[in-house]
Amino acid sequence: MNKPVRIQQEDFSQDAEIAALKASSLRIGGIATFLGCARDFSEGRDVSEISFEAYGSMALAEMNKLRAEAIATFKLIDARIVHRVTTVQAGDNIVFIAAAAEHRAAAFDACRWIIDELKQRVPIWKKEITPQGEAWVTPHP
Amino acid sequence: MIRVLFFGPVAERIGARELELPCVAGMRLQALIEQLSAQHPGAFDIVSFIAVNQTQVHDTQLPLNDGDEIALMAKFSGG
Repeated sequence: MNKPVRIQQEDFSQDAEIAALKASSLRIGGIATFLGCARDFSEGRDVSEISFEAYGSMALAEMNKLRAEAIATFKLIDARIVHRVTTVQAGDNIVFIAAAAEHRAAAFDACRWIIDELKQRVPIWKKEITPQGEAWVTPHP
Repeated sequence: MIRVLFFGPVAERIGARELELPCVAGMRLQALIEQLSAQHPGAFDIVSFIAVNQTQVHDTQLPLNDGDEIALMAKFSGG
């Protein structure tokens, strides 16, 4: 089975990630997921592709810390975080987060917390490729 | 030697992904930052985070050691 925290070029399967979560425990009562995908429009411009770059070893370590912190803080049963680092087209998958808990509130809260923290703490950068040229993205709050 | 890594927008402004600098005895992070920012002021405008050996640091008085890996990073934009 794939590791629960991964950085990879290739696409992921939400079904496979959820199946892996469900296989970890029969005590799971709810799984909240977040799927980040590539938009074709940003800051008033058409976006044809998004290119990602990561400080791979640190990014993976931070993502593993995030998972461990989320499990401890929200009393999750398990969680998975997968981020693609490659060039994606509009509509393609970028990031997937799944948080499994006994009850829905913890799953929802943890899922939201993980994606918010990931954006703040994980060293990954995106560059939008538009018909007018390329630009690194300045993060939104 | 100290290995200095750049990614994304910072790498683009520096024109390199990696530099190696000699480690001088007693050298602190601040000295390395001053040296590199004098050479690449445009890149340092967007450096927001510094990691030493893959851990984010805030104390620029941190002593550096031979073999350290420093990353000078712009704000993250993953997800």
